[in-house]
Amino acid sequence: MPKAAVLKKDPALLESSKFASEPQWLTDLRQRAWSKIDDLEMPIFAKINYHSWPLLNLTADPGINMSIPQTVVNESAAYQFASVGQIVAKAKLSEKLIKQGVILCDLATAIKEHGDLVKQFLFSKAIHFDEDRLTAANAALVNGGAFLYVPDDVEIDEPINLLQFQDSRQTTNFVNHTLIVAGENSRFKVLQRLATVGETENPAHVMVEIVAAAGSYVKFSALDSLAAQTHSYINRRGYLDRDARIDWTVGLFNDGNTVADFDSDLVGVGSHTEMQTVAISTDRQTQGIDTQVTNYGAHSEGNILQRGILLGASALVFNGIGKIIKGAHGSKAQQENRVLMLSPKARGDADPILLIDENDVIAGHAASVGRINQDQLYYLMSRGLTKEVAQRLVARGFLGVVLSDIPMAEVREQMIAMIERKLVNGQRTE
Amino acid sequence: MTTLKVSDLHVSVADEETKATKEILKGVNLTMNTGETHAIMGPNGTGKSTLSETIMGNPKYIVTKGDITLDGESLLDKTVDERARAGLFLAMQYPAEIKGITNSEFMRAAVNATRPADKPIPIRTFLKQLDHNLDVLNMSADMAERYLNEGFSGGEKKRNEILQLMTIKPTFAILDEIDSGLDIDALQVVSKGVNEMMSPDFGVLMITHYQRLLNYIHPDQVHVMMGGRIVKTGDDSLAKELERTGYAGLRAELNLDVDLVDEDVPAGNGGR
Ligand SMILES: Nc1ncnc2c1ncn2[C@@H]1O[C@H](COP(=O)(O)OP(=O)(O)OP(=O)(O)O)[C@@H](O)[C@H]1O
Ligand SMILES: [Mg+2]
Repeated sequence: MPKAAVLKKDPALLESSKFASEPQWLTDLRQRAWSKIDDLEMPIFAKINYHSWPLLNLTADPGINMSIPQTVVNESAAYQFASVGQIVAKAKLSEKLIKQGVILCDLATAIKEHGDLVKQFLFSKAIHFDEDRLTAANAALVNGGAFLYVPDDVEIDEPINLLQFQDSRQTTNFVNHTLIVAGENSRFKVLQRLATVGETENPAHVMVEIVAAAGSYVKFSALDSLAAQTHSYINRRGYLDRDARIDWTVGLFNDGNTVADFDSDLVGVGSHTEMQTVAISTDRQTQGIDTQVTNYGAHSEGNILQRGILLGASALVFNGIGKIIKGAHGSKAQQENRVLMLSPKARGDADPILLIDENDVIAGHAASVGRINQDQLYYLMSRGLTKEVAQRLVARGFLGVVLSDIPMAEVREQMIAMIERKLVNGQRTE
Repeated sequence: MTTLKVSDLHVSVADEETKATKEILKGVNLTMNTGETHAIMGPNGTGKSTLSETIMGNPKYIVTKGDITLDGESLLDKTVDERARAGLFLAMQYPAEIKGITNSEFMRAAVNATRPADKPIPIRTFLKQLDHNLDVLNMSADMAERYLNEGFSGGEKKRNEILQLMTIKPTFAILDEIDSGLDIDALQVVSKGVNEMMSPDFGVLMITHYQRLLNYIHPDQVHVMMGGRIVKTGDDSLAKELERTGYAGLRAELNLDVDLVDEDVPAGNGGR
């Protein structure tokens, strides 16, 4: 049994995480989670060994830098919400959306101004604080995040863009939690962009809960590019009521070690999710991605599509878990996990896991772990492309199925640009 | 004028499973200048594709002796992409299929490969040339937006090789059986594309089994390859003579000791 990461339980750490004048219910939730941390195990993901990572190296004396770097200011122009660590750089919705009752703010403000709403959904539907040591740590120590609420029947065309920077200009804790609540029959798109400023080594704990009420439709995209020195734990979970739908498109382009846990709970009858992930590992990086769909509701449908590329001496594991609970009649669970290794030293893995407890269901999987096709590479190079350019083209082609499926052109373009950057950097360190 | 010269070229391949090496080319000599059109004919399995792949720089083929030079400079230590940028082009007998990359994005990358990084071809210029070339080759515009060779018919792949040739504009092109599998109309179209390339600064080497291609693209020299060597060189009339006598006839005439894959196979009714 590998030695698991242990949290040093300094009361000052708990104290430092609290929001200014936070309500008692939250302090109580923190306290309950805090007292359970030691008893709960680290979550287990098949073939992903992250237990020696310093994920729980949190500081009892976190530094706070109030200044907002110019790069953040510049980038935030295209976003409605921007934050650096615990500091909010921007939170601005159009008048129209505000009139419709849409709420977008940082978590601390949400708890103060919309306490009842937050209390109703935070750690109550999608993620539970006592699932494992990491969910408990997030519940006890959450110190930032965003809150988005879209009321019943509200449809929004323009995507809501969230830009969240981990502040590593000093030693501090990044325990982030974003809560998205989709009212009945609401429809909207959200983009979450995660990155790091600064060079200090801090772990990142990022959670996103999406609670999708009956008939709602959320298109959620994420572009993650946390820094090389950041060990990250990213947990994104959807809770879907009757006929709700969430389409996830996640680009995992972090430069540091990452363990990602993406889940959709298809609770309602006829609920539906599409979970698409693209990941690139480079250099000595290890990334483990565990994507799970659980069909509880009858006639629910969940599809997983994952594509990963490896360079250097990196490792990448895709687990795809399709779980069908007894009673989920007529439900569907399909998945496809593929990884492509561009370097002989890279280690990739793609594991479909089907856990099915019902008979009249349709479930299937495809998986592959492959190396770059030398004939394809030769063909491209025979037209004058350098090996690096040819490799990047093949890699992009491999990711193409996911890319061409991304509903938002802006996200698609950003994703392609990030893939290019990550591949170029990865090739440089080969 | 640019000269591509193959001298005393010996080439082996290693069997992928047994790793045993086998000599395929046993001393090939060939000199081509820009402004010239050459053709190579020869029986199946004699080493024609091996020669073209070796000139292009396919790492599967190992040169054990001899040299390949471009204006006197050896190409042997150059990688395939370096040779391509130096002006060589090979229209392959079996081009690869690559999903997820469009034909036009690939060709644009290929054109830009020989340009300075900060001076890529303007998109409009590229598209204009592409339109023209598609037109010459009777190809529909959506062929350029399809994934590279993916799901292309045999004939479409051949056309697509010529489309790339016209787009990239190399100094020397080797066309490996560009006519195989083409119907007569397609053959004319593809030939038109190649003929449009002809200039004093362009040389072409065609590998073919059929004299009919040479009716559309007239060669200055015809070479016959047998048993891993060029055994005879002549003009246009050599192709016609071969059509009559077959390779066995030539072998007898030259007193060669080589095996022919298909000899002693009864030709059925037509062979009476
Ligand atoms: N990569 C390879 N591995 C093993 N053997 C090879 C390889 N390439 C060619 N050969 C062998 O070398 C010989 C010559 O093949 P090549 O393809 O050059 O013939 P060719 O003259 O082009 O024939 P064809 O007219 O049928 O196209 C054949 O016996 C072939 O099996
Ligand atoms: Mg051949």
